[in-house]
Amino acid sequence: MRARISDLKRWYVIGAPFLWLLVFFLIPFFIVFKLSLSDVATAIPPYTPTFSWSKGISAFISQLDFENYTFLFSDPLYINSYLSSLKIAFFSTILTLLVAYPMAYGMARAPKSWQPTLMMLVILPFWTSFLIRIYAWIAILKPEGFLSLFLIKLGLISEPLQIMNTTTAVYIGIVYSYLPFMILPLYASLEKINPSLLEAAQDLGSQPWRAFWQVTFPLSMPGVFAGCLLVFIPAVGEFVIPDLLGGSDTLMIGKTLWTEFFNNRDWPLASAVAVLLLLVLIIPIVLFQRQQEMEREAGR
Amino acid sequence: MVVATAPSQANAASSQRAGPRTAAPQTGFAPWKNPDLSPMVRFEGITKRFDDFVAVNNVTIDIYEKEFFALLGPSGCGKSTLLRMLAGFERPTEGRIIVAGQDITDMPPYERPVNMMFQSYALFPHMTVERNIGFGLKQEGMSKDKIEERVDEAMGMLELRQFAKRKPNQLSGGQQQRVALARAIAKKPRLVLLDEPLGALDKKLRQQAQFELMRIQETTGTTFIIVTHDQEEAMTVASRIAVMEKGLLQQVATPGDIYENPKTRYIAGFIGDVNVFEGTVSKVSEGCIEIDAADGYKFKTKSSESVTVGQKVGLALRPEKIRIGREKPNSDVNVIPGKVEDIGYLGSISHYHVRTAAGERITALRANAAHTVEQSITWEDAVWLDWPVDAGVVLTG
Ligand SMILES: Nc1ncnc2c1ncn2[C@@H]1O[C@H](COP(=O)(O)OP(=O)(O)OP(=O)(O)O)[C@@H](O)[C@H]1O
Ligand SMILES: [Mg+2]
Repeated sequence: MRARISDLKRWYVIGAPFLWLLVFFLIPFFIVFKLSLSDVATAIPPYTPTFSWSKGISAFISQLDFENYTFLFSDPLYINSYLSSLKIAFFSTILTLLVAYPMAYGMARAPKSWQPTLMMLVILPFWTSFLIRIYAWIAILKPEGFLSLFLIKLGLISEPLQIMNTTTAVYIGIVYSYLPFMILPLYASLEKINPSLLEAAQDLGSQPWRAFWQVTFPLSMPGVFAGCLLVFIPAVGEFVIPDLLGGSDTLMIGKTLWTEFFNNRDWPLASAVAVLLLLVLIIPIVLFQRQQEMEREAGR
Repeated sequence: MVVATAPSQANAASSQRAGPRTAAPQTGFAPWKNPDLSPMVRFEGITKRFDDFVAVNNVTIDIYEKEFFALLGPSGCGKSTLLRMLAGFERPTEGRIIVAGQDITDMPPYERPVNMMFQSYALFPHMTVERNIGFGLKQEGMSKDKIEERVDEAMGMLELRQFAKRKPNQLSGGQQQRVALARAIAKKPRLVLLDEPLGALDKKLRQQAQFELMRIQETTGTTFIIVTHDQEEAMTVASRIAVMEKGLLQQVATPGDIYENPKTRYIAGFIGDVNVFEGTVSKVSEGCIEIDAADGYKFKTKSSESVTVGQKVGLALRPEKIRIGREKPNSDVNVIPGKVEDIGYLGSISHYHVRTAAGERITALRANAAHTVEQSITWEDAVWLDWPVDAGVVLTG
């Protein structure tokens, strides 16, 4: 009797994550994938074929095809959206890293008693809705917004800045929104570095700046890697930021997908876009997983 | 009359080793006695305060070239702080540090002609053994070939060649310790600082490593300054020992001198086993001091210590200097009767713990070879303890 209970427990422990994966990832993915093989239709739901028991499975499958995918490759809009998304994600990841590193470094170097407070400040923005924070950026960036007013007051510029509705605004939005995802892993790896390593480097004749590049930076690489992937992966598919802050010339795949889905009501094509996006991101996601795995191994 | 219990009663066997080293390889090496030599390192009135706390208090020490100098003292006495000031990681609040005639008090650590071996080794975890050892040479901008040559030399000296390509976490504690030492000597600095270099090793490995340290120090002809709280370690490796307590320098002397002529009760008790009798000075004649002990015993000892009649002093006696016998010695000074309470048999020698009439415990030491000729002494035997006039050391501090 007891054996059976512990068996059950074990199955539960092993099974729970799989069940989670199945319900929240695999099933939705297959629904989207199936949708991407369908054709658009003026009906409810707006695609065909729909499965019916009377016609049977084989008839259903025979109507599925890869038409949407070939279409994606034939129209440069989609390819350009993907490339532009990757480019924007790439550069905003680098920008985020450049902004986050000094902050994380400062946090790790701050007196121990301050560190929890600094950490709180980094996480604090999460307590406000993401949308509200992006709207706040509109108020800051628009031509008659705070930033332009402020700079004009200072006499640094005479004309209002044209940042709103440009790709620059998208970069600002992404760097701002994803900063905590970069800071936290960086801080975690910087904070682990034994300060006597830096003393040893200096003792052996390394000036502080060289000691940083030879010791601190290489040892913070796990944090750099994790942080970059945590920013890059969601940034590629970002929709809200380019939609609210970017202009019509800011091409991002998330926005394209949205347009297909809600404006053109082409669910099958939108699904194909989504599936392809996932394929594009699979490499960085796998890299991220492996890196986390290695971290855990090293931590043991 | 009081018996001071030595801190290392438990490992009494080791107190043998803690004695002055007999076959010192540096016999006759005593640059501190040569007034023509200028010191390699000079701490000049060094004080270090952390806020209100005085970690190092007005310390002045001269350390000479090729010395193996030990800073000895209990935890928290300021040894590491003193060493870190020499390495440049802490700035003295007061005083100056002079190395080879140059005032380095304000010099940043990366410019100092000093290399340190850290207590936790502080090996770079992302570099191989080879690159760890070559790190300092690379900072000098030395050519690749030259670095390789020097690294190989250091690895050879410490038997590390087979580990050249390993990372520090793939090494045992003893191997890591050798890498840390190799890294500290690779630049051939004139001065190597070691902060509890063997603290993480087990006892056996530690003794082996002590001899290795001495070998390296002698073959490279470098000045070593070692920080330790292990008196045995200091006695084994050092040419001179500076004993510190609560930030203050207590005594600087050779291991033999510290053992034979401790200046204070604290040092007497810190290094080796010792019996301390309390009393007052009753007479001072040329070269001799007579002491009336609290229990009516009379002691007489040769001493050049300047004391005055009536001054309260201590008399320190090493256990091996006290004779123990069943017959009453025919002398009326330096004699105490008692009863054997406990015997620690340690092979070649035995420790006799004797309780006096006044209830004090005294430890005497006797070689066991004497057993066969002399009467053997066992538990509960009434015995007499006595010692020659040159055995005791007068303690004023
Ligand atoms: N950065 C610091 N800030 C405040 N106090 C300090 C600092 N560094 C050391 N101290 C204090 O100075 C005293 C001496 O420290 P130090 O590290 O020199 O001791 P130590 O003799 O090396 O002891 P141990 O054998 O335990 O290493 C200690 O009481 C310590 O608490
Ligand atoms: Mg210390």
